[in-house]
Amino acid sequence: MEALIAGLDAALRIDTFIWISGGLLLGMLMGSLPGFTTSMGMSVLVPISFLVGDPLIGIPFLIGVYKGGIYGGSVPAILISMPGTGASIATVFDGHELTKKGQPRKALEMGLYASAISDLFSDLFTLVMIIPVAAIVLGFGPPEIAAVMFLSLVIISVTSTGPVIKGLLMLCLGVLFGFIGADPFSGAARYTFGTNQLYDGFHLIPMLIGLFALPEIFKAVKEGDQTNSRIAQFVGDHLNFSELRRSLRTIFRSTAIGTSIGLVPGLGQPIAAMMGYIAAKNSSDTPERFGKGELDGVAGAEAANNAVNGPTMVPLLTLGIPGDAVTALLLGAFMMQGLRPGPTLMETNGDIVFAILIAMVFANILFLIIGYLTIPLFAKVVTIKRSLLIPVTIMLAFAGTYLARSNPFDIVTLIGFGLIGIAARSAKFDVAPMVMGFILGRELEYTFGQTLALAGDDWLRFIFVERLGMTAVVLATPIIGVTLGARMNRFRQKAIAGEQA
Amino acid sequence: MSAKWIIRISINFFLGLVFFINSSIAQENYPSKPITLIVPYAAGGSNDLNARVFTSFLDDYLGQPILIKLVPGQAGQKGTLEAVRSEPDGHTLLFTDNYRDQLHRFTFRNNVYDTNKDLIPIARVNYGEIAIIVRADGVYETWTDLESHAQLSTGNVAMSHSGLWVALFVPALQVMKNLDLQLRMVPYRGGGPAKAALLAGDVDMSMAFPATVAADVEAGRVKILATAGSERLISHVPSFVEIGLPPTTGFMHRVVMAPIGVPEERIIILRKAFARMQQETAYQEMMSQLGENTEYLDGKAYEAIRIQQSRDYRELANSFNNE
Repeated sequence: MEALIAGLDAALRIDTFIWISGGLLLGMLMGSLPGFTTSMGMSVLVPISFLVGDPLIGIPFLIGVYKGGIYGGSVPAILISMPGTGASIATVFDGHELTKKGQPRKALEMGLYASAISDLFSDLFTLVMIIPVAAIVLGFGPPEIAAVMFLSLVIISVTSTGPVIKGLLMLCLGVLFGFIGADPFSGAARYTFGTNQLYDGFHLIPMLIGLFALPEIFKAVKEGDQTNSRIAQFVGDHLNFSELRRSLRTIFRSTAIGTSIGLVPGLGQPIAAMMGYIAAKNSSDTPERFGKGELDGVAGAEAANNAVNGPTMVPLLTLGIPGDAVTALLLGAFMMQGLRPGPTLMETNGDIVFAILIAMVFANILFLIIGYLTIPLFAKVVTIKRSLLIPVTIMLAFAGTYLARSNPFDIVTLIGFGLIGIAARSAKFDVAPMVMGFILGRELEYTFGQTLALAGDDWLRFIFVERLGMTAVVLATPIIGVTLGARMNRFRQKAIAGEQA
Repeated sequence: MSAKWIIRISINFFLGLVFFINSSIAQENYPSKPITLIVPYAAGGSNDLNARVFTSFLDDYLGQPILIKLVPGQAGQKGTLEAVRSEPDGHTLLFTDNYRDQLHRFTFRNNVYDTNKDLIPIARVNYGEIAIIVRADGVYETWTDLESHAQLSTGNVAMSHSGLWVALFVPALQVMKNLDLQLRMVPYRGGGPAKAALLAGDVDMSMAFPATVAADVEAGRVKILATAGSERLISHVPSFVEIGLPPTTGFMHRVVMAPIGVPEERIIILRKAFARMQQETAYQEMMSQLGENTEYLDGKAYEAIRIQQSRDYRELANSFNNE
């Protein structure tokens, strides 16, 4: 408690806030460039934090970049249907539809408010619960993660839009795509047809851009000169307070989902975003409006992906364990300032830890302000003439794909998935289950393999004594799946009846 | 879709493309333009951080900025290949380690390049010596305890590692081969998650560079049972040689290399820059903050180590490939 108060005192500094603001702005700009992931942006900026000899400047600066980057990804997703990072995958579904309806500003503002609110609450949760939660985090090993992945796959397949069989087919296709590349356990090449190019498998970013952005470009080119010469004449109205209030329940639900997912090391933002979106759709009275420009969909996805940020700091600060590339970079930044994250840091420099966490909480207010000021600039994009916007979009798609890992083969991947996206759209197949199958299938295989290696010969004891958490999740999976599936079926029938009437 | 519309889009696209393409004019002096350092690792790893530290000092000694290009993939082969294929004018360098340089020739075979024929060392930046770690509150007090337990229950001792054929995996194989043990190897994505698995009690042992577990040792959560090398790093903890491992086991050298064909005088300029950078105290301090040493070695001296490694790793790889 003393450390908390000392931390509050230390965090309230004007230069800290200036640096956070700089980080947020840089993060938003970088995040809005497709293909430029948050970890790449932070990796470029980490030397700046090395050179600033003050942990209360350098680290909040990087945290600003982190928060800004995750939000920034939603901007191209909403405006040009191009999810620049995996985190904004579910933002595309309704965000871009809103843009096409002439409401890009509403969509961007909803994304911003949802991100900032959820970030605020997940940071507060982290601040207050960091000590008790640290003990729980270690309890999530590969067996529990594998069980949660399996549950996620079931949830996605039963709640997909349109006929279940179509969703399941796309999901399996995604899982198959995920198997391409090196076998994670032996390093042997699988389905690579003898080429080195496929050894690492497909990369997520060209897949996302290909599936979501290229079909939009194709459509716009096809009908471009017959319709309006701009996507929208104006950036549209502001978000009403009543619209925000209507989505508050969704925002808080997604915050809870995102925070819980953030606590489990290795799940990450894309899964959180998807689960937040599905939950919003599932508890909506009008789920048929999702995917056609529903503000609640943007709120559900954006709140969930940003809520992941806070809890990922827990294993880093309390155990010194970086769960992903972003936290690994933060670990480096801490060490450069002479702080060694881990159990001793909380005891010796508790005030600094709390100061950083408090700075994170306050950063959300700055986040809201800076985001609000940049929205009109970003949203202007849609008022550019299509004959200019389309070439720029094409260039962004290809440049972003190449930027992600400097691999020319990714361009081929981009075009390939673009064709799949166009075909799927004309055959009315939803591509979202395919992407999730791709992300989850690989991870499920890896964590399941780890689980087998951990279990050894004594697997009965492993299932029924050591890993009860995993067993509970696996047993609950069919019940959750059937319940959700039945609910979605009622809506599907209602939607069909509505169409016939 | 009218022809006019398509033409308008195409013209704008190519106008944009021309705008992005810029040409660079080569000059006489070396280095005449920024140097690209290819780092064949993912963002956020220890190699990425090490590269960011030394490149922010090295530019003072070369007179040109050093740009880091992360090219992860294919267990480092993609970045290595890119360096091998680059113009050998000294403006493209590679940051690699001994496993990628000498061991992967035997484990991830390729017909495209041969690190011994295609790369020449500029400098060893530093090295890390691995340690065997267990939980402090566990049943193993000493290495002997762990070893005898592993011998009694074949394959029942689980070890977490950070990936195939790299920093934790290779010394573990050397333990198995030289001490005739069976360890159950559980893969994790990187050293952080591998350590977490040990702390959680999911596995019985792991390996780590001492700096990455210093805080855990201090807090009484992790115990070091042995450290690499012939000398003891910690007075009461045996060295790898004492427990029966070869003296080179468990050393990871971080090395900067250039593609073969770079003119001799440029190699000398590069080697000198690294040598002079060692004098800078700010560099030394920053590396030690990161928990890394600055045991610099000139490229020429490193050649000898390389030959020895090649011999050891061939043997190691063969003994496991045949099984």
